[in-house]
Amino acid sequence: MGIYVLRRLWRTLLVLIGISVVVFAFVRSLPGDPATVILGERANPVSAARLTEQLGLNKPWFINIKDPAHLFDAQYPRYIWKVVHGDLDKGQKSQIPVTDELRARFPATFELALAAMFFALLIGLPAGIIAALRRNSVWDSLATTVSLVGVSMPVFWLGLLLSYFFAVVLHWFPPSARLSTGVDLQPLTGLYVLDGLLRGRLDVAWDALRHLVLPAIALGSIPMAITARITRSSLLEVLGQDYVRTAKAKGVAPRLVTLKHALRNALLPVVTVVGLQAGLLLGGAVLTETIFSWPGLGSWLYDAISSRDYPVIQGGVIFAALVVSVVNLLVDLSYAFLDPRIQYR
Amino acid sequence: MKKYILTALLGAALAGSASAATLVYGNNGDPVSLEPGNITDGISITVQRQIYDTLVDFKDGTTDPVPGLAVSWKSNPDATSWTFNLRKGVKFQDGTPFNADAVVFNWKRWWDPKDPTGYRDQGRTYEIMGDLLGGFKGDKTAVIKDIVKVDDSTVRFDLTGGNSDFPVVIGSGYFGLASPTAVKEQGAKYGTPASTPVGTGPFTFVSWKTGDSITLKANPNYWGAKARVDTLVVRSIKDASQRLNELKAGTIDFASDLTPDSLGAVKADKTLTAIMKPSFNVGFVSMNNKNPILAKQAVRTAISMAINKKAIADAFWGGLAVSNSSFLPPVMAWANSSAVPGDYKYDPAAAKKMLADAGYANGFSVDLWYMPVSRPYFPTPKPIAEAIAADLSAIGIKVNLKTEDWAKYLQDRNKEPGFDMYMIGWTGDYGSPDNFYGAYYGANASDDINFNPPALQTLLEQGRAALTRDAKAKVYAQLHKLTYDAAYRIPMVHSQPLAAARTYVKNWVPSPLGSEAWNKIILIGKK
Repeated sequence: MGIYVLRRLWRTLLVLIGISVVVFAFVRSLPGDPATVILGERANPVSAARLTEQLGLNKPWFINIKDPAHLFDAQYPRYIWKVVHGDLDKGQKSQIPVTDELRARFPATFELALAAMFFALLIGLPAGIIAALRRNSVWDSLATTVSLVGVSMPVFWLGLLLSYFFAVVLHWFPPSARLSTGVDLQPLTGLYVLDGLLRGRLDVAWDALRHLVLPAIALGSIPMAITARITRSSLLEVLGQDYVRTAKAKGVAPRLVTLKHALRNALLPVVTVVGLQAGLLLGGAVLTETIFSWPGLGSWLYDAISSRDYPVIQGGVIFAALVVSVVNLLVDLSYAFLDPRIQYR
Repeated sequence: MKKYILTALLGAALAGSASAATLVYGNNGDPVSLEPGNITDGISITVQRQIYDTLVDFKDGTTDPVPGLAVSWKSNPDATSWTFNLRKGVKFQDGTPFNADAVVFNWKRWWDPKDPTGYRDQGRTYEIMGDLLGGFKGDKTAVIKDIVKVDDSTVRFDLTGGNSDFPVVIGSGYFGLASPTAVKEQGAKYGTPASTPVGTGPFTFVSWKTGDSITLKANPNYWGAKARVDTLVVRSIKDASQRLNELKAGTIDFASDLTPDSLGAVKADKTLTAIMKPSFNVGFVSMNNKNPILAKQAVRTAISMAINKKAIADAFWGGLAVSNSSFLPPVMAWANSSAVPGDYKYDPAAAKKMLADAGYANGFSVDLWYMPVSRPYFPTPKPIAEAIAADLSAIGIKVNLKTEDWAKYLQDRNKEPGFDMYMIGWTGDYGSPDNFYGAYYGANASDDINFNPPALQTLLEQGRAALTRDAKAKVYAQLHKLTYDAAYRIPMVHSQPLAAARTYVKNWVPSPLGSEAWNKIILIGKK
């Protein structure tokens, strides 16, 4: 298994190098340049050209063919040289090192994604199980309908609706942000609920938790729906298999058959989907983070893409690829636990 | 007697609450930088204005210049040299003195590309110098020739040509003055979230959590009116609907840039006060001379007569906009020509006839590009474009609506052959007609309509150099007439951006210029 993990990590490294090349070429082939966006309405060709030069974006991309003496005085070699030294460059306009922003923003997204996943599994798994066990009942229709709504409702709409109803009308939860104004917390891990507990500040942990609820529901609604549907269909399939019938015939209690025999096998596809979803949650929390003023990776990358902030897009995408690779590795490793027939080579 | 006692009690309560109060503002995004001179966006200015002062300030709610860090200023007869007398006894928030050296230090680092404290090798750009003041030291178009310390409390700016707008230009929020000591100590980091920005302003910097909030506290040594709250938190809330939700929930105290359609919701909420900010923008439709049909003046005039601007303004701004024939917002109406009618005539029948006379009885087909982003002057560009298209189809013009990503939009309008017709606008930086006309006409403007006659350029230069308001008014009246008759850009609207505050927020007077210091705001009865 150790060799398997090493091989996977090596492959991840190759993937990351490939992604760096692709994203580098991709952002530069996007229409519209950073200088024009930075200057906005007042952008005229003269100022735009001046700013482009100042940002170093007038240099060739990969190799400086025109000037063989400075072959590597191009954008990509300079960037990779920096990356190898642990520097992902600075945001074009903000001048904030990309690594600093990643360090500050990843925990926010991670905490939100964890909470969203927790919500998705908390509701999605039981809903799927109940729907499968009580097939064609009211419960089944209810679970199916809820999951359909969850999949089809746009996240930004759901987010605003949740915020309006639970924050403005009912005052149960705050409308947005990670902590209330004036609540002070020196982050340890960057996961505020956990940090509140670690610092022995229950009030802070509670405040952070309350802020987490609405965005987690908004972000978790789609994975919740998908989890419910996959669990339902997978469990139905397993329940119809011979070994389940055999177990029942042997007189094993129905509850035990379902939970121990059927569910464990039915979870395999669920785990696969959850793994994929987790990757998407980390990279795709764009709308939720924007609506809920959540200072995470999603809203940061979204801004960077609209303002063509090349270093931020590059660093962000490479980092997201790394995270998705790690999550997939963990998912693959968990297969063996669920299905002993799977071996690592 | 009872009344006096009540007043006294209220006063005492206020004094007590003011010391501990926190004021929370919902900003529509995260600032780019807290380093003056190095930004071009309003979100950053909003925060910078609280930390820094400028040499020239503006009377509350107007564009009229009043003393800031300079107590007085005067020019030589041809306005090519401006001398500013600085306020004495002012200190930066780090305790270092504000004086002529500090002024020269700040301006030189923005203006001189070789200045070692400009940190340009580390990515600083100071683009606003290029845009508002023609360029940098050594550029042919640069407005500033030199910055000279006369004595400890006098600074002189020598200009390359006559410019009577100079004091108001340098009063714009981009040019807040920072502590030279702090800039030198913090180096290229200055202005980023990892730094401590230091100015002379009413609030001092405490912390910046990127993407989340910036916390400031009252500057106890402020030279002007000291802040009436203890802490100021500026939160980053990008979504306009969410800003309204936060206001209604009471988690923020005041916010700007709400969508015009939320006026009803704000008015219906007893805990909120709607605040219409003074209009200081123009949203307009530009027509391109490179399109042979649009190159005909009769066609352009017919188009401007066929668009029902008032109906569009009423429909999409819900009472928060005026439509008129001027490129200048209402506060600068003094510069308009009386020979030009206040509004374009809306007359589709006459327009149709005019089009037929020009040889287009059967109409023609044209592209109209609308912006993919929302701005105060065009909050909902797509439906507005649809309304324009409907009006034009009534006189036989087939309009193809088009849009693209904002970055590409800004670039393509300046690229050959440009857009046939497109929507764009402008929000002013300082109170001079030159800031509006100069942004879209003349040498420094975007090259999007291929219309830049010498007469227009001469008028722009004359306007910039004219010394008195009367003299300016005469020049800009001619410019107004010239651009109105040419009808290349049809002003659609001057909108009033909608802001709102909790009812306990008093004394907030928004500036037409888009930002003002919040030292005078009082909170009465906030929990």
